[in-house]
Amino acid sequence: MDMYFTSRRPLWMVDSKIMKARSDFQWLFSSVLLLYLMNQVNSQKKGVPHDLTCTTSNLNLWDCSWKAPSGHGARYEVCIDNRFICYQLAKTNMKIPALARGDHEITINAQHDFRSSTSKFTLNEENVSLIPDTPEILNLSAEFSTSTLHIKWNDKGSIFPHHSNAIWQIKILRKKRMEIVTIVTHNTTLNGKDTVHEWSWTSDIPLECVTHFVSIRCYIEDLHFSGHKEWSRWSPVKNISWSSGSQPKVFPQDKVILVGSNITFCCVIQEQVLSALIGNEQCPLIHLDGENVAIKIYNISISQSSGTNVVFTTDNNMVGTVVFAGYPPDSPQELSCETHDLKEIICTWNPGRVTGLLGPRNTSYTLHESFSGKKTAFKRTDEPTNESYQLLFQLIPNQEIYNFTLNAQNPLGQSEATILVNITQRVYPHTPTSFKVKDTNSTAVTLSWDLLGSFAKINLLCQIEINKSNSEQELRNITVEGLENSTYLVTLDKLNPYTNYTFRIRCASETFWKWSNWTIEKQHLTIEAIPSKGPDTWREWSSDGKNLIIYWKPLPINEANGRILSYNVSCSLDEKTQSLSEIPDRQHKAEIQLDKNDYIISVVAKNSAGSSPPSKIPSMEIPNDDLKIEKAVGVGRGISLTWNYDPNMTCDYVIKWCNSSGPRPCLMDWKKVPSNRTEAVIESDEFQPGVRYHFFLYGCRNRGYQLLRSVIGYIEELAPIVAPNFTVEDTSADSIIVKWEDIPVEELRGFLRGYLFYFGKGERGTSKMRGLESGPSDVKVKNITDLSQKTLRIADLQGKTSYHLVLRAYTSGGIGPEKSMYVVTKENSVGLIIAILIPVAVAVIVGVVTSILCYRKREWIKETFYPDIPNPENCKALQFQKSVCEGSSALKTLEMNPCTPNNVEVLETRSTVPKIEDTEIISPVAQHPEDGSEAEPENHVVVSYCPPIIEEEIANPAVDEAGGTSQVIYIDVQSMYQPQAKPEEEQESDSGGGSGYKPQMHLPITSPVEDLTADDDLDKTTGYRPQANVNTWNLVSPDSPRSTDSNSEIVSFGSPCSINSRQFLIPPKDEDSPKSSGGGWSFTNFFQNKPND
Amino acid sequence: MDRKEQELGADLWFPLPVLLYLLTLQMLTRSPAAPISPAEPIRQAYSLALYMQKNTSTLLQTYLEYQGSPFSDPGFSAPELQLSSLPPAAVSFKTWHALEDGERLGRAQEAFLALTQHLQLVGDDQIDLNPDSPILLAQLGGARLRSQGLLGNMAAIMTALGLPIPPEEDTLGLVPFEASAFERKCRGYIVTREYGHWTDRAVRDLALLKAKYPI
Repeated sequence: MDMYFTSRRPLWMVDSKIMKARSDFQWLFSSVLLLYLMNQVNSQKKGVPHDLTCTTSNLNLWDCSWKAPSGHGARYEVCIDNRFICYQLAKTNMKIPALARGDHEITINAQHDFRSSTSKFTLNEENVSLIPDTPEILNLSAEFSTSTLHIKWNDKGSIFPHHSNAIWQIKILRKKRMEIVTIVTHNTTLNGKDTVHEWSWTSDIPLECVTHFVSIRCYIEDLHFSGHKEWSRWSPVKNISWSSGSQPKVFPQDKVILVGSNITFCCVIQEQVLSALIGNEQCPLIHLDGENVAIKIYNISISQSSGTNVVFTTDNNMVGTVVFAGYPPDSPQELSCETHDLKEIICTWNPGRVTGLLGPRNTSYTLHESFSGKKTAFKRTDEPTNESYQLLFQLIPNQEIYNFTLNAQNPLGQSEATILVNITQRVYPHTPTSFKVKDTNSTAVTLSWDLLGSFAKINLLCQIEINKSNSEQELRNITVEGLENSTYLVTLDKLNPYTNYTFRIRCASETFWKWSNWTIEKQHLTIEAIPSKGPDTWREWSSDGKNLIIYWKPLPINEANGRILSYNVSCSLDEKTQSLSEIPDRQHKAEIQLDKNDYIISVVAKNSAGSSPPSKIPSMEIPNDDLKIEKAVGVGRGISLTWNYDPNMTCDYVIKWCNSSGPRPCLMDWKKVPSNRTEAVIESDEFQPGVRYHFFLYGCRNRGYQLLRSVIGYIEELAPIVAPNFTVEDTSADSIIVKWEDIPVEELRGFLRGYLFYFGKGERGTSKMRGLESGPSDVKVKNITDLSQKTLRIADLQGKTSYHLVLRAYTSGGIGPEKSMYVVTKENSVGLIIAILIPVAVAVIVGVVTSILCYRKREWIKETFYPDIPNPENCKALQFQKSVCEGSSALKTLEMNPCTPNNVEVLETRSTVPKIEDTEIISPVAQHPEDGSEAEPENHVVVSYCPPIIEEEIANPAVDEAGGTSQVIYIDVQSMYQPQAKPEEEQESDSGGGSGYKPQMHLPITSPVEDLTADDDLDKTTGYRPQANVNTWNLVSPDSPRSTDSNSEIVSFGSPCSINSRQFLIPPKDEDSPKSSGGGWSFTNFFQNKPND
Repeated sequence: MDRKEQELGADLWFPLPVLLYLLTLQMLTRSPAAPISPAEPIRQAYSLALYMQKNTSTLLQTYLEYQGSPFSDPGFSAPELQLSSLPPAAVSFKTWHALEDGERLGRAQEAFLALTQHLQLVGDDQIDLNPDSPILLAQLGGARLRSQGLLGNMAAIMTALGLPIPPEEDTLGLVPFEASAFERKCRGYIVTREYGHWTDRAVRDLALLKAKYPI
């Protein structure tokens, strides 16, 4: 083969020269060739070479082959382009240099067994296929920790004549069964040189668990080649596998991944895996080669501190791995840098989102300064907290501007934050220390403090807080030049002497960033100064007028300027000064015996720093005759005094006051008012409402004070606390004279405005006067406003009547309590006599006139009021009553059982006496006097009474009759009560007829013989028979007669038996009864009344 | 003995039982010639072991709680996990009962020596895995110190009984440092579990000795 290659090139070159030389014969050659080809076509059928195909792998050489009948010793002569180049060959393929574009004639002459056959082909580049040589993987390596395969191969670009693109296909296969995982295309360029290419691929399944195979092929895209291009063949596969020990293992180990990503875990193991867990979640197994398995986790969630466990369990073992799912570091937030001392810069930041990664996987921070190129790393303390992310950076001399970059990094990524600071503007000083206060003078102190830091290049702004007791807080800002770790001194003036101050201080840089913390507070008392004023002085003459008492007030603290030790009092007269002894503090008055000369008294207060200017007061008092006492009432908490401007008053006004009921000399306090003022409001905590105070206004003129006004007043008026004491001076039948006394000033509690006098009828013990104010009753009120009036005459009163008198005093503050008294007026005899006589006389006259009238008009009266009533006997309508009464017991009157008194009465009177009333009442009886003896009607009448227990009578009508006689036996004084027998007895009496009144209990004493009349009686007795005295009824109730007429039971009814019986049983007019029985029932009443008239 | 004393003295924040032990040890070392009764060191060792026994389950529970599921799942148990560098506490009763005092104490001492070192290792592992869990780290540290204390007590007993104290071995040298996080978690589990088992066994060992050498 090689040999052929060496002879080929010279031939090719010769051929080209010959072609040129013989161009003249081309036409002739072509025509001969055409004839020859015609012969060749004919001879193919006899086994000539055929199917010439050419390929190339490098574009330089074409590899041509043809098919020919098999046979030993066959030789071929291949000639190109009309024997321009010829090759002698013993095989059916050959390599020829690439031919130029265009058709080329190939003649193949096969000689076999002394036979020759010739075939001609036309060859063009377009018919040639470009099939690159099969590539070879030079190296296949694996990075197990990242599950990455690295593939290297040579592109053999040197064999290609010009640059062309190469396309590579890399095939990844997995498992022993060579399952294709992926086929990846990779483009390169062939540049005429052999180049080794490298390509990596990361597996989703850890490479340890399963064998991976790799194969490669290529495709050359040469633009100059017009023929057909094809992929090379696949290279031989190379594989990567992990040689595990006998120990089962899970991969990947300790991997840090981003939250939410997907990951596959696999287990290299020799025994069967039963289950796989991530955390506590079961996962489906993916089976790999052998017993190896894998699990795929999608969208993994953030791990806890120690990571997420992935565990594979077998029958008797558990293997696993830990995965740490977290986040890359967040950009550091709120990065801020400042310095406390201009020596060290402190940068602080907030780490932002939690990464979920801890320990060696935690975020590391590095602070880098770009101008100086220095950096410092963050060291995590044992107990990291989110708040304490800070880094210290040493200040670089002469560098003010710093450009910091804070880099945060963890296995998942990194982030950064930058800040550009001028550090002199970011000074946050330490808290000043050793803060001290020293006196300079009484109004100034010197403050000193230490402040660590190199502040030599900047000014410091310090703030001093000054607190004075009972005063507002004061803040003073001062600027001091910065120093190097030094003590700072500042003088603080405009303070008050002898005052307790509290100071504290804080500092910042003049280009303000932050105040330091306050120092601790320091208390300081400034030193004393001389009192700024003399004490406020007043003088009073003693009551005997011989001594002058000098009063002064202690100086207020802001004027005393220190602790007052003593006072000096002196008096001077005409340049002669007489000094009195020193008066210690606490005593604020002095008494001097003076004559009436015009002395000037001066008082001086002394403290340790010196004496105050003297305060002077003249001793003389200029008299004022034109003085009257005025009244005033306070407004609010004080009393307002006004006066007219007086140009003569050259010094000042003094108002002194005292409790008007206090001892003399009267002085509680005083107040000085400048001479240009014309009013003053006196206020004092000692003022109390309801207390009378005396105010004196003094004017100061020339060398003495003159009393200008004298005022009594109240801060607030109250109602009197006592009632005026009053007595009754005189009493007559129609008037009372009352006298009262004044109320003492202390109890009046205000200016008296008047009295209220109430009077009205009333007796002691009644509460009538309670409604003094409110009631519109007959209480009268008199308002006495004339305060000089001390008596009052109350006229127009009634005689011999008790009057209630009440007296109350009132002020503007209200009405005081009442004092009351009861007074009875004297009797008025004339009136009494008249009061008796007139009614008596009137009564007599009326009586006489009435009597006369009644007598004269008696007939008319009778006709009008008591007309004759028709006899019911004649009334047909009443006859049915008979049968009714026989058949029905309902007609019987009420029986009242417990009428025991009846029994007694009946016994005494038997048949005669008690019937009178009955006969009067029952009208039928009145018609019967003619019918029989006088006794008989009585019997009839009695029968009419019907006991109320009717049912029993109805039940035994026969028994009633049978027992009629036997009932008589029961008439016995002793038988007081026979409830069962009673109805029967009455029945008895009905049938047998009654003799006069029969008490309901035991009527029938009458013999059975009288039964004959019983029927008649029954007729009559069907009407009503009241037991009571009808006369009395008539008086009370005029309706009763009508009721009885109707025969209804209702009439008897209501009157309780006992009462009625008593009326009957003690009749006072027994004799009248026979007469009355003859008359009508209403008439009888009238008749009975008549005798009274 | 002096070396051990120094070693223990370095940990000044011992719990009370350990301090008691130290005091005793001091007294013992100062008067080596005096006849020593084994009863007192046995009593002290026994009370320390009892005290340790109260905390073993808490330690194991706390440890598992911080390792995440499935370790922290209720009822987690993996008896199949063993560490070759730790002698197992399980022993048949017959074998255990037949042991000589010296051998019994020697085995316990060997185990607690290994446990002390392993607890240190587990503590270091947990600083990486659970740096934010001071409770767990403190408990592991406490367990380690108590193991050391018990070791000292046992040495005192052996001295009192006139037994030779076995030389200290560096069991930890065999521990693979390149363990994965999962292996560390498992290792910690085994150590804390075995610590409990060995403490239980030590209580029984010492109870037996206590009965043998009454005060």
